[in-house]
Amino acid sequence: MLALLPWCAFADDARPYVNDLKAPQNRKDLEAIQNAVASALPKARAATVCIEIKEGSGSGVIVSADGLVLTAAHVAQGVKKKVTVILEDGTRLKGETLGLVADKDAAMIQITEKGTYPFVEIDRAETTKLADWVFALGHSGGFDKDRGSVVRLGRLVRIAGSTFQSDCKLIGGDSGGPLFDLTGKLIGIHSRVGAQLESNMHVPMTEFIANWDGLQKAEFIGEGPYAQKPVKGTGFLGIATEPRPEGGLRVTKVGEKSPAAEAGIKEGDALLKMNGVALEKREQMQDLLKEMSAGDELTLETEHAGKPKTLTLNLGAR
Amino acid sequence: MHANKYSLILAALLVLPVAAQQSLESAYRTTGTAVVAAFEAQRQVLQTSSAVILDDRKEIAYGVVISAEGYILTKASELLEAKTLGVTVDQKNYPEAKVLMVDPTWDVALLKVEASGLVPVVYAPTSAVPQGTWVVANGVTSRLTRRLLAGIISAKPREIPASGGAALGVILNAKSKVLEVDDVNEKSGAKEAGLQKGDVILTIEGKKVANVTDIADALKERKAGTQVKLTYRRKGAETTVDVRLAARGELFTEQMNRNDQMSGDFSPHRSGFPRVIQHDILGSRTVEGGPLLDFDGHCIGMNIARANRAENFAIPVEELKELAARLMKQGGK
Repeated sequence: MLALLPWCAFADDARPYVNDLKAPQNRKDLEAIQNAVASALPKARAATVCIEIKEGSGSGVIVSADGLVLTAAHVAQGVKKKVTVILEDGTRLKGETLGLVADKDAAMIQITEKGTYPFVEIDRAETTKLADWVFALGHSGGFDKDRGSVVRLGRLVRIAGSTFQSDCKLIGGDSGGPLFDLTGKLIGIHSRVGAQLESNMHVPMTEFIANWDGLQKAEFIGEGPYAQKPVKGTGFLGIATEPRPEGGLRVTKVGEKSPAAEAGIKEGDALLKMNGVALEKREQMQDLLKEMSAGDELTLETEHAGKPKTLTLNLGAR
Repeated sequence: MHANKYSLILAALLVLPVAAQQSLESAYRTTGTAVVAAFEAQRQVLQTSSAVILDDRKEIAYGVVISAEGYILTKASELLEAKTLGVTVDQKNYPEAKVLMVDPTWDVALLKVEASGLVPVVYAPTSAVPQGTWVVANGVTSRLTRRLLAGIISAKPREIPASGGAALGVILNAKSKVLEVDDVNEKSGAKEAGLQKGDVILTIEGKKVANVTDIADALKERKAGTQVKLTYRRKGAETTVDVRLAARGELFTEQMNRNDQMSGDFSPHRSGFPRVIQHDILGSRTVEGGPLLDFDGHCIGMNIARANRAENFAIPVEELKELAARLMKQGGK
């Protein structure tokens, strides 16, 4: 016979009493904070990731078993961009940015490799109050396997509109990393800092929840300052071409240090396909590029000295 | 530092104009007086067993009292420019402090003041405590009262390799066909070993060096704080000396990265440590050198570098005990 569990049996979800003291009074109170952090830490740490995009590195946190990651918009930088997600043990996974909220510094990433990933629960009930004890995780200054992600303890010192401020000291590389309450629930994502050690700003979960569908659909939501909307036609490849009698286009010139040159394209190479479209006329290539922006990924099927080759590069800025 | 290859993503400083906001009074923040008051027992230990290191009246570092007779450990590189070295322990000032020994690897100096009846720190049995464990350290003090900051163990214990690799600390004359010294860094082992402008470097560890690549190869596997035998020629005479290696990044000013720029006053000597424990207590740079205490007021380490605004390194108690014993022995006690 089955019996339903009473819903209130989840004792670990109970609000720790220390949050409701103005300040810890004694060793027992301090140990309550310490023990809560220590027990929440393994799960929180397993879900905290480093995110590498091009030359930069930030942090993020996995929130579903199939690898949905929350991060900051200024880490993701754009939608549908390729990223590398690094787990605590150093495992490197392919990922793609989904949507972002440009005016709130919220973004979502999907790990694109199939797997079951460690994840944390989001505080959907908005239980967080001013003065609550919290802890931050993040890959400060970039991934360092010997060190692991860095944990910092603090209190919520200000709640202002769509911003949490804590005195968990953050630094570059922490951006996009998770802020947890003492039960290990995700309450915010690291966004920015001020000059003072206590000026550490986080995006509350409410901003993610309010935009969840758009984030999942890879929409670019809102305008600046944390991400700039791509402008079509700003992508730069750096080659001149002419039609080739046997099909495709012939490269007649490659700009010095252009994205094309860096991808290894040489004068005399043949371009056969761009993003899967067979090229016959120069206008076709120009039309394709017109729809793309700086930073977009481009796949080229080429022929160098008679040998076929497939290249992937990112367009530069015009 | 770690991950130098990345240009780090950094958040913009942005002040949001907001109408409705709630703010926590400073006394109740993590470093606030009301929170710190819960650590009064540990503060008492800092009162008697930490030392304030002074250059005349200016606080330049903190220290760990390791014997009743006035032996104190502190951060060596913070003493370099001090003219009048003094120490305050508890409420008593000792205007004359002598530097007996320096360990360049750990950047630790052994000081001696004329004192008796001091209360040395009690070492903790281990530094291997879980992350999230409370620790306390010195905050900036008043003349009579030590103040305290609290935080937690925040990362795995590990080695911090020398920033930029190990270096002799010389600049070579690029126009010369031999390895002619053009300049000697003031803080370097080369300076301590007596190298001068015009000297020609001949061998390192007995092996001939003919160009910069040879020097780089000779130093590649070596660590900052260790020594190499170096032979040089001056006015026709050859001399062999032991040269202490130092972290290149700390001898020659590196371009500050964005994380350095946002970190305030970090410790210039913050790499090249064989092993550290890390915590999130971030005071000013001048509070380095003092003890790191656990809940029981026992010393689990010695604060040795404010690496940046999020990371502080301490020498683990295991290595600290060994270092203290070695310096005391060499220092002639």
